[in-house]
Amino acid sequence: MISSFIPGLIMIITSFLLPTIPQYFRHPAMLLSVGLSALSLFNGYGTFLEWDILGLNLILYQSDSLTLPFAIIFHIAAILVIIFSWHSKNLMEHMATLAYAGSAIGALHAGDFFSLFIWWEATALTSVFIVFAGNTNAAKDAAMRYLIIQVSSGVLLLIGACLMLYQTGNHNLAVLDLKTNFGIFIFIAFGIKAAFPLLNGWLQDSYPESSVTGTVALSAFTTKLAIYALARTFPGTDSLIWIGAIMTAFPVFFAVIENDLRRVLSFSLNNQLGFMVVGIGIGTELSLNGTVAHAFVHIIYKALLFMSMGAVLYRAGTTKASELGGLYKYMPFTTIFCIIGAMSISAFPLFSGFVAKSLIMSSLGGMGMVLIYFILFFASAGVLEHSGIKIPYFAFFAHERKNKVKEAPINMLIAMGIAAFLCIAIGVFPKYLYQILPYAVEYQPYTLDHVISQLQLLVFAIIAFLFLVKFKLYPSEIRSTVLNSDWFYRKMLPGIGKPLFKKIGLLTDSLYKNLGLSFKQVLSKSYKFSNLSYIKVTTPSFAGTILISILFIMLVIVLV
Amino acid sequence: MKKNDLKSMGKSFTKCILIIGVLLILLDFTFHRHEYFSFAEIYGFPAFFGFVSFVFIVMLGKWLRKFLMRKEDYYDQ
Repeated sequence: MISSFIPGLIMIITSFLLPTIPQYFRHPAMLLSVGLSALSLFNGYGTFLEWDILGLNLILYQSDSLTLPFAIIFHIAAILVIIFSWHSKNLMEHMATLAYAGSAIGALHAGDFFSLFIWWEATALTSVFIVFAGNTNAAKDAAMRYLIIQVSSGVLLLIGACLMLYQTGNHNLAVLDLKTNFGIFIFIAFGIKAAFPLLNGWLQDSYPESSVTGTVALSAFTTKLAIYALARTFPGTDSLIWIGAIMTAFPVFFAVIENDLRRVLSFSLNNQLGFMVVGIGIGTELSLNGTVAHAFVHIIYKALLFMSMGAVLYRAGTTKASELGGLYKYMPFTTIFCIIGAMSISAFPLFSGFVAKSLIMSSLGGMGMVLIYFILFFASAGVLEHSGIKIPYFAFFAHERKNKVKEAPINMLIAMGIAAFLCIAIGVFPKYLYQILPYAVEYQPYTLDHVISQLQLLVFAIIAFLFLVKFKLYPSEIRSTVLNSDWFYRKMLPGIGKPLFKKIGLLTDSLYKNLGLSFKQVLSKSYKFSNLSYIKVTTPSFAGTILISILFIMLVIVLV
Repeated sequence: MKKNDLKSMGKSFTKCILIIGVLLILLDFTFHRHEYFSFAEIYGFPAFFGFVSFVFIVMLGKWLRKFLMRKEDYYDQ
């Protein structure tokens, strides 16, 4: 019975039951549900649950060597988030977080595109409440934008799945290419959630608006689910190599000038996804192992960094670099955990990032892709800049702080402590990580050549930082908004759409004036209706504009 | 005394990093560092690449402020 129970489903059921559970037992119940779901990790590989409905065979639960590492890390992430949010009494957020993690785990085990679609949308619908729980006007607006983008991704996936079924008679998850129209739809659907260049705006827009604990949950699942989906359906797709390389390099510049440290981490998240996407694009066993390993360790250290910034936000009330600094004295444990996260993401030897990134770099080197190799090498210096130095430096050091703050609550410290321990343990004993990767590949990350090369890069990048600070060339933090690709639908489209709709409104108004009056009078004898002031020129909200634009684009694509 | 905490920490950190940096460059002369690409085997290449990349990222980012930076309430206007 339990062996055919979809992993994650028990978490979703528990999330619905949470309101009936007394506050005191909610977190233990959440942990228990994750534990029960994690039992599925021992089921082995195979297809465990299918459902024939409306002539479709849905594979609701299957598992293989690619599913397993993602399933393990998703369960770990869920546990970390629950411990980190132990102090919180926000029921809606707890429900959303547990259901969101459950949906993401369920999605990993879907064996066909329709089942995947259902989970895909479930992650969108549950996670939007986490953004919403930021409980500010900005968070509510960001949540609505987030929902539109996420649901659009699901709609594209559904169109792709329907087209695939119609054209091939098959809808099971399989390796696709970009020569088919359904392949393109599914590729874009995954690309939106994987935050491809220009499709990434939602990530930096919404994640930093979420609550202290919410951002940690958000950082773990959606984007890595997209990476999993890409690894399953588009391995070896050449265009992914360039898409990934652009993703590693571009966010780096935005992260330099961004003032909100949680937004800096969101740019950094985008940059990390780039490494994984490159690994999928190369498509060899070594590189795919690299992608999975990177996703695995990334979830831990990114959660750790977001947790440390969450703790700062919780205690100091802000994560704006221009208003922080000097917290090392008051939050020493948080400082240490943050530095461990920073060293892991920067791929210092003996930390988890090093043993994962090496796999991707080695596969690039082995294939002789010199340009991409050095773009990623360059991006590694960028990672050090924004996540390795900027985050801990501006939050905890930079300058002395006048106001005292308390150290983070104990539950936060425990969650950060576990994550920090895992970062170091994986870095020191990489073989345990390598054992769960999809392909059996012998790989030794700790060669003298590799260690020295990486250390030279990192240490001299730090020296460059010290040099720039010394000569006052390092940009000071300024309260500001940095334009990102969400500008297109937050400013540009409404900028075009609003006047356009106004014009259309005026046009219909005048048409109504000249032609419609008699028609209207036929319809209604009331003179009230013929009063033209009744007609208001309405312009749709920006959300409406986006939705209409997306529908229009989809219509054009389908017609073509 | 308290105000100098960060400064003195910064100074000793700088010293440590510089020493490690020098050691890493010296180490390069003691063995042949194998790389995937022959030009990367030049002495101190990763160090040079790291330094230049970092400065480039920061300076270009700073320059990009001209085009990308808006007031904090930009989207609320």
